[in-house]
Order: sequence, then C-alpha cells, then structure tokens
Amino acid sequence: MARLVAFFLSRLPLAACALLLPSAQVSAAAAAPSEYAVKAAFLPKFAGYVAWPGNVRLAPGAPLMLCILGDDPFGRLIDSAVRGQLVDQRPIIVRRVTGAGAAAGCHIAFVQGGARTSALLSGLGRSPILTVTDERGGPQRGMVHFVVQDGRVRFHIDEAEAARHGLSINSRLLAIALTVRQRP
Amino acid sequence: MVPGLAGLMAVLLLAAAFGIIFQYDGVYRAQKAREASVQAEILAASVTAALDFGDTASTQQAVDALKVNPQIEAAGVYTADGMRVAGYERRHGRLPARFTDAPADDGNAVEARAPVLRGGQRIGGVYLATIRDPISRRLTRYLMLSLLVLMAALVILVLGIAQTALRRANRELGERASALGAANAELKVQIEERVRAEEELRQAQKMQALGQLTGGIAHDFNNLLTVIQGSADILRRPGVPEAKRIRFAEAIVQTSTRAAALTGQLLAFARRQPLKPEVVDVNTRILAMIDLLDRTLGERFEIRTELAPDLCAIEVDPAQLESAILNVAVNARDAMAEGGLVTIRTAEAGRLDDGRRAIGLSVTDAGAGIEPEALARIFEPFYTTKAVGKGTGLGLSQVYGFAAQSGGDVRVESEVGSGTTVTIILPCSDRGASETAAIVEAEGLHRTGRILVVDDNEEVGAFAELLLGELGHQVVRVRSGPEAISAAESGNGFDVVFTDVVMPGMSGLELADRLKPLLPGVPVVLTTGYSDEITRSGTGGLPVVYKPYRLETLAGVLDQVLQPPPLAE
Repeated sequence: MARLVAFFLSRLPLAACALLLPSAQVSAAAAAPSEYAVKAAFLPKFAGYVAWPGNVRLAPGAPLMLCILGDDPFGRLIDSAVRGQLVDQRPIIVRRVTGAGAAAGCHIAFVQGGARTSALLSGLGRSPILTVTDERGGPQRGMVHFVVQDGRVRFHIDEAEAARHGLSINSRLLAIALTVRQRP
Repeated sequence: MVPGLAGLMAVLLLAAAFGIIFQYDGVYRAQKAREASVQAEILAASVTAALDFGDTASTQQAVDALKVNPQIEAAGVYTADGMRVAGYERRHGRLPARFTDAPADDGNAVEARAPVLRGGQRIGGVYLATIRDPISRRLTRYLMLSLLVLMAALVILVLGIAQTALRRANRELGERASALGAANAELKVQIEERVRAEEELRQAQKMQALGQLTGGIAHDFNNLLTVIQGSADILRRPGVPEAKRIRFAEAIVQTSTRAAALTGQLLAFARRQPLKPEVVDVNTRILAMIDLLDRTLGERFEIRTELAPDLCAIEVDPAQLESAILNVAVNARDAMAEGGLVTIRTAEAGRLDDGRRAIGLSVTDAGAGIEPEALARIFEPFYTTKAVGKGTGLGLSQVYGFAAQSGGDVRVESEVGSGTTVTIILPCSDRGASETAAIVEAEGLHRTGRILVVDDNEEVGAFAELLLGELGHQVVRVRSGPEAISAAESGNGFDVVFTDVVMPGMSGLELADRLKPLLPGVPVVLTTGYSDEITRSGTGGLPVVYKPYRLETLAGVLDQVLQPPPLAE
C-alpha cells in the first residue's frame, strides 16, 4: 500500500501537469504512462505468448476474450489498449464479469477482488483461462502476477499453474519474467 | 616474340580470372547481405518479448550479445514507432537514431533490417550493420587466386614460346637439311664428272699407246716392205745378171725373216704367240746357248755364268726362252758401249702368289743403268732409249710377254752409273724334266704326195700351191671348208690336207674334224699366222706351220707327216 502511494506520489507532478495542462495530457500520458495503463497494455500481449489447449482453439478471425473479473481498476484504459490491437489477426473483446461462473469463454481473466481474489481464482476451477493478478488482489497469485519494481511493471509467472490448466507459455515470455515457477 | 595463340590464351585466362573474381565479389556481397538479414531476424526473434513488454534491460542484453562478433558494426532495436530502444555501435553515430534513418555508412557495410513480430503483428524493428571483409583481407584472398591464375597463364605462355622456338628450330633444321641435300647432290654430280674425266683420260692414254704401237709397227714394216718391194722390182726387170738376182733375192729373204721376227715379237707381247711348252732344265739350255750368246755379244764382252745346281725343271717354249735370254743379253750389250762383263745367274726364287715354287734367271750388266722414270716404261712395245735404227723397242716386250704367258714375271733392278739386272721368274714344272733328244731330223728322202690346199686368201693359197708344186707335190686348191669336203668326197683321195685355220664359215679345225670320216688316216696340217682359237684350245694334236713359213719348214713338216706312223718320243 505504501509503495503504491509512493508510486502515485512519484507520478504526482506529472499527474498535476496532466491536470493543469490539458493539451499536454496526451503527451504526458505518452511520456509516463500510469501503472494500470501499462498493465492494460500488457494484458492483451500475453495472448501472443500463450498456447491454449486444442479444444479451446479458436477459428481464424474469432475474437480473443479478455475478461475483467471482480474489480475493474482499468476503466477506459483497457478499452483503449485493446482498440485496434490484433493478436494472431484476432480482435480483442473486453468483458467485465463479476462472478467466476460467468467467466466461461474467457481466454484471459484479470482477477482482482481484494479478499475475494482467491475465491474468484478457485472458482475458475480447471478452466483453460490465463489468470492475471496484481498486488492489489492480495497475496494470492494467478498464473501471471504483476509487480512494480524500480518504477517498472514486471511480472511473475507460475508456469506450473498454467500447465495444470492446460496452457503452455512461450519461453521468450518466461525469459523476461521476474521469476518463473516452472512446471514439474 | 610472344606467340599469338598462347598469348591470347593467357590473356583470356587472366580476363576470365578477373571476371570470376568480380563475380565472386558480387556473390560474396549478396551472401553477406543474406547473412546479415538472417542475423537481424534472429535478433528480432530474440528481443520480441523484451520489446513487447518494454524490458529494456533484456533487449540491451540481447543486442550486447552480438558484440562478440567483430564483423557486426552496429545493431539496434526499435519500437513500432521507430524509436530506438537498445543498440550497439562500434563507431559513434554508426547506428541510426530512428529505424527509418539512413545510416552513416561508408559504403563498405552490409545492412539488414528486420521486423519484430509477435503473432504476425509488427511490434518493432531491428537494424543490423555488418562490415565486409576489410579490403586487405579480400585482396589477400583474391591475390592467392590471382597468383594461381598468373602462374597458369605464365605456364601457357612459356609453352607457347617454347613451341614457337621449337618450330623455328625445326624450320632451320629443315633448311639446313635441304642445303645439305643440295650440297650432296652437287658432290655426286662432281664425282660423276670426275669419274667421267678419268675415264676419258684413260681412254686417251690407251689411244695414245695404241697409236704409238701401230705407228711403230707401220714404220718398221714400211721399212721392210721398201726393201722387199724394191728388190722384187729389180728382179722383175729383164736382163738382170745372175749375181745381182741372187743378191736381191737374198735381201728379200732376209728382210722377210726380219719381218717375221717382228710379228713374232709383237705376238709375244700380245701373249697370243702360241707356245709349244716343253719341260726343260734351264741350266742346260743356257749352256747350250753360250756359243750363240758369244757370237751375239761380240769379242769385247765376257760372259760369266753362275748357275745354281739342282734347280727344278720349268715348262716353257724353248724357242721363246732363247729369244728372251737373247733380248736381255742384247740390251746388256747395248748398255755397255765399250764392252764388259755380263753375268748370267740362275737361282731358286721365292714362291709365287699361287704357292708354286719358282726359279729366277737374271742377266746383269755393268752398264749405264736405267733412269727411274724410264724403268716404268721399259716393257712398253716400241719404247726404246736407243737411237733410231739401233733397236726396235720390242725386245723387252717379248721378254715380258714370254714370262707372263709362262706364268712368271720379270723384274728389273737398275742404278744409274752402276748397271742393270733383269730377272725372269719362271714357275717350276709339275712334271720332271726330260731332256729328250732333239727333234728327229728329217733326213733322207724327200717325199711327195697329193695335197689338198684349203685357204680363203687368194694370194696365200696361190703361193702355197706354187711352193708345194716346187717341192714336187700334186696340189688341189680349194677356197673354203665346204669346197674341201666336196673335193674329199669326190673320191680322188689325198695324202695330206693343208688348210688355213682362220676361214669364214668353217674353220680349219672344224674342217679337220669333218674330214676324219671322209679321209680316214689322212693327216691334216694346219697353217696360221695367228689364232686365238689355237692359243686357247690347242691344235687338237694336229701339226701347225706358222706363217710366215720358209720353204724348208714346210717341206720338213710335210715330210714328217707323209712318213709312216710316228716315232716314239
């Protein structure tokens, strides 16, 4: 929490500028994107490094489902991040769901619910969904867990968990992860 | 003088080599570009996630990994917007700041750009610049190749030059060979000319000798004929006193005798004189001749004999032997004008070429000697050093002819001022000497009979008829062999047939043969002046009267022939 505050405080002058100078807003945002903007940018990218099991393979051109499960810290950020983006020539659709039961058909799910995060995660069962969490969601980690280190957004990857759900993650992504919990 | 073809080939080879080098250079460049491209793609693949998730550290790590390759001059990773995220450059400013910027390139670099793709979407770009081999390294590489090619070209050139030189040498050789051939032909021509010239010279010499001979003969005979004709003319005149008649007739006889002697000597030289060889002892003969020699040489000369005992017998014509010794003695006499000593020696001589033993009969005088130049010519007929009228020049020719025909030789040793020795070499006879009693003299009655005379020559035949008539014989004369046969067949019978040998058609010898059955037991007497045939094959046992014959000779032979069957010898 304190770290988050510090993070925001470090961004404060810029944010202030953004507020004070509306014309510079875009450039300011471009110059120093916010934490959740970066995370929002990252989310769809993960799809390029993950292979879903055969029964979930999409028909060409079918969209990728990106779900926000629980709280939505992104707001418009996620929508603008996926706009115009293509992953394997697929468009990305964002869905906001409140319960795990409604998460069927998702490919990627960003799970945040405070204390409810672990319940939400376990509620997904063995579904082949790439779960992404961050520090706001408590200690429970998904397959990809965002952290902020040295002012930069990094992530941990739990390859074992992903394998248990039938997902395989490209080694290149593993190479840039902070830590990797390898599958057995 | 670089040979054309070889030079051309060398130049072509070099050009091809350079072409290959340039081609290779281009190929090399393309290859390098491909390599760079591939390397860029590899780099792009390796930085995809790092670039995607903004992991600058990892991106830079990937770029830095290329530092180990010395050929990579610069490498950079750019975002989709073209901003440089990470990079490496050997030289400052080498790496473009933005992806689309042109590099600060010196033209020596090979560049490559590759997109960073994630799931088919371009999320950035990679720029790579490699340097080509430095010029020095390339040149070194090409230098090796060039050297090899140069060597090959040189080899070709050398071969070409060598071949040209060889061809030239061959050509020169050919020229020299043909020059040699021409010289050889020239030489042959000259040799032929020389041989021809020698032939002509020899012929000329022969003709000259012949001319000398015939001239000499003609000259001598003319002299004799003058006397004979002149004497005959006188005899024909009427009213010539008896004493004069006898004198001129005597002259004719003597002159004819000399003429006969002359022909005899000529024939002896020609070796055509038919010899009547007998086995004689040379010493006995010499001793028998001593009186004759004394008379011939005269009072002022002394004759000494040194005769070796127990010499082998020789087989010679005794008359010819006598003549030979006489001729040599006469020469010895003429060489010593004041008189002197003449020594006759006989001794055993060395073996002849055919291995037979021989004896030598030598006559030595102490006279003026013979000049060395004359020595070579003394046996030539009519060659004489004596004054005109003093010698016929035929003496030594007879000696030579006699010796040669008897199977021997004549040698002369002479020293000017000291004297001369003439040696006659004669081979020993196989048979023993039988000094028989001399010829049975025809004594007693002079017989006559019917004689058939055969001669194709009118004068000689008529003369024979006359002579025989004088002797008291009955003569029938015919002019040829066939006529003689007719006469024999006519059956009148003859006691003797007197025939010439040399006749056209049938010869005397042939006639004798043919007459055997017709006139059995009738003796045939041959007469001839010269007969090759007789010399070769003998008379076949028939008696011969040689022309010119004296009356006594003819009478004697006929007497002998008309006698009853022969005396044993």
